[in-house]
Amino acid sequence: MSFRSVFIAVVTAFALIVAAFLINRARPRVETEQPTADFVRASGKCAECHARLQYSVVHEYEMSAHAKKGVNCLDCHQPAAGQKRVDHHGFVISDHLTAGNCRSCHEGIYQEFLRSRHAAPSWAAVHGEKGLTPAQVAFSEQFQPGGTRRPPNPLAVPEGHPAVTSGCEQCHAIGKPNDDGTIGNCTECHSRHTSSVALARLPTTCGQCHMGPDHSQIEIYSESKHGVMFAAQRNLLNLSADPRSLTTRDMFVPTCATCHMSGINGLKVTHNPSDRLSWYLADAISTRRPNYLQAQINMKQVCTQCHTQAMIDRVYVQADQVVASTNQKIASAQQLMDGLHKDGTLTGAPFTHPIDFTYFNMWHYDGRTSKHGAFMGGADFVQWHGNYELLAKSVELQHQAEQLRREHAKR
Amino acid sequence: MPSADLLNRLQALVRGPRLRWAHDPQLWVELFVTSNLAILAGDIFIAHSVNHFAKAAEYIPLYFSLAAPLALGVVILLRWAGGFEAAWRDVGYLVGWLAVLVGLGGVLYHLGSRFFLDHTLKSLTYAAPFAAPLAYTGLGFLLLVNRMVAPRSADWARWVTLLALGGFLGNLVLSLTDHASNGFFLKTEWIPVVSSAFAVGFLLVPVSGSVTRRYLDLCLGVLAVQALVGVLGFWFHVRANLIEPGHSLWDKIVNGAPPLAPLLFPNLVALAWIGIWGLAPHLDEGPGISWLGSMYRWVHPEAPESGSSSPTAQEFAD
Repeated sequence: MSFRSVFIAVVTAFALIVAAFLINRARPRVETEQPTADFVRASGKCAECHARLQYSVVHEYEMSAHAKKGVNCLDCHQPAAGQKRVDHHGFVISDHLTAGNCRSCHEGIYQEFLRSRHAAPSWAAVHGEKGLTPAQVAFSEQFQPGGTRRPPNPLAVPEGHPAVTSGCEQCHAIGKPNDDGTIGNCTECHSRHTSSVALARLPTTCGQCHMGPDHSQIEIYSESKHGVMFAAQRNLLNLSADPRSLTTRDMFVPTCATCHMSGINGLKVTHNPSDRLSWYLADAISTRRPNYLQAQINMKQVCTQCHTQAMIDRVYVQADQVVASTNQKIASAQQLMDGLHKDGTLTGAPFTHPIDFTYFNMWHYDGRTSKHGAFMGGADFVQWHGNYELLAKSVELQHQAEQLRREHAKR
Repeated sequence: MPSADLLNRLQALVRGPRLRWAHDPQLWVELFVTSNLAILAGDIFIAHSVNHFAKAAEYIPLYFSLAAPLALGVVILLRWAGGFEAAWRDVGYLVGWLAVLVGLGGVLYHLGSRFFLDHTLKSLTYAAPFAAPLAYTGLGFLLLVNRMVAPRSADWARWVTLLALGGFLGNLVLSLTDHASNGFFLKTEWIPVVSSAFAVGFLLVPVSGSVTRRYLDLCLGVLAVQALVGVLGFWFHVRANLIEPGHSLWDKIVNGAPPLAPLLFPNLVALAWIGIWGLAPHLDEGPGISWLGSMYRWVHPEAPESGSSSPTAQEFAD
């Protein structure tokens, strides 16, 4: 046997082995340095199939901050505590992701969300306590008194199940109790695979639910100076800025998230919008929230990032006046309705007489619109969509009440 | 002595007319290709079940692997039992060329699953195994070699050995990319990469230049290690599949570690053995006595002591 033969064989073999090591070394560490082999496989194997089945899902993920930080499919899709484990092509995953999956990394944010009206109170606004555990109700009531311990919405019965499922729940499921014991789903605002901060900062994201006659925030925002400037300068904003270092240089025009949640210029970021809200504006007759003073301070701190204190105070004074005036108008209407019930003129289940709708529309549409418009710079919504409608409906209400009384007297 | 008697009887049997067919290297190559194509049918069925044969083209290798062994089986019988040479030759050419095309087309399809979208190492790692379809190409070339190059010649033996080498190179790439998708989480996953690199290195020498039978002894040692690695890998893959999650054994096999993949090692050892055995009569013994030479003379006592007297071997040495 010649040395030449052995030399060629060994050198060739060794060169191949070194090449294999070098190629493997060239792989990004984020792909290989994972806690288990499954996580390594998930860093590419999932996309191999899903890029063909649902290309947009993979593409959105690849653009996400999660992807940039090496969070792979299995990080989010692995079963969290209490979730059903499903075998999926060699992986064990959860087939239904909830806030329970997000909280494994974002626990603090989840806790803030849990204390907000986006959580259990949002669900309870449709279904009452149904589906919520006593512990979940008790927890939420500590932070949002009366928000969860309440009866189901009286409209749910007359409108029927399909309307509730395809209508109400599409928004109110943001606080849906999950089988794993958690509440809600972060993807309602951040979307699933983009997991995007930028998306959550867009007014249209909030506007998916905060729209329409009953809570027309997106319409008011669009009419406001903030909204107009956003429409004009959106491309100049840094919507993807890191929440921990967000400044008015990034978001020199505010969106919903900027004022209600963001930690702009060093302020504390929050996933509980109630932290900056001083009134229960959605109620028929608005009352001050338990944290009224602190919440007002918090919100005014955000306002001061762009506005003078004098202007901010003036807006708050004027808005408080609109709240008080609207309360007065609704209180009169409520008094009238209570009287009709008390003297037996109005009987039966809710939403069975035209006057029920007139009153409901008055506070639920026009009253809310007027108050929201006042705080959000929507002059037209304070006036024409709000107070004008309030006036018209109060006349109509009185007319209907008189008619009912006459009919009742005849009986 | 009883053991010597047993050996004599065994030798008589091996040299006897009943096992004359076994001395035909061409037949061994035909049987190797036929059995491999048949096994590939099962392997392809498992592999393409991962995505439920999502594309119609995924059925091509399956149908081909089902039909080709049947066709080859018939013509092998016709040739070795009935003496029908032309049918064996022509069907072999057809199957051979088709296998080459199926393999090359498969590489393109596999790379197209991801790598052609974004040309990255990651996409290469997680794309369908791009080297796997080349098994068909290799088998196709074997059929062509068996018909285009004179059997029992050094040339024929070197081509067969080269194709075995190509198989081991494929094994290196396959085990590298497949285990890379786990990030070589277990260090044992490097074993097939290292071992197939040695197989490539050692088989490269007899294919590319003159060697002695003693060197081929060394190659046989390296090949024996390959066979062991294959069996060990088979056990590791089966065990991994039993442990891994899955709602059924089939699900675990389809989505888990490919159980048949490590058996490529002993499979290629068989092919390399055919090549090396074919080379043996054409090579010098070299200093000392080789195991391969002794074995060859035991089977073929009429063979010269050294292959240098054979014109083909002489030509090879030149």
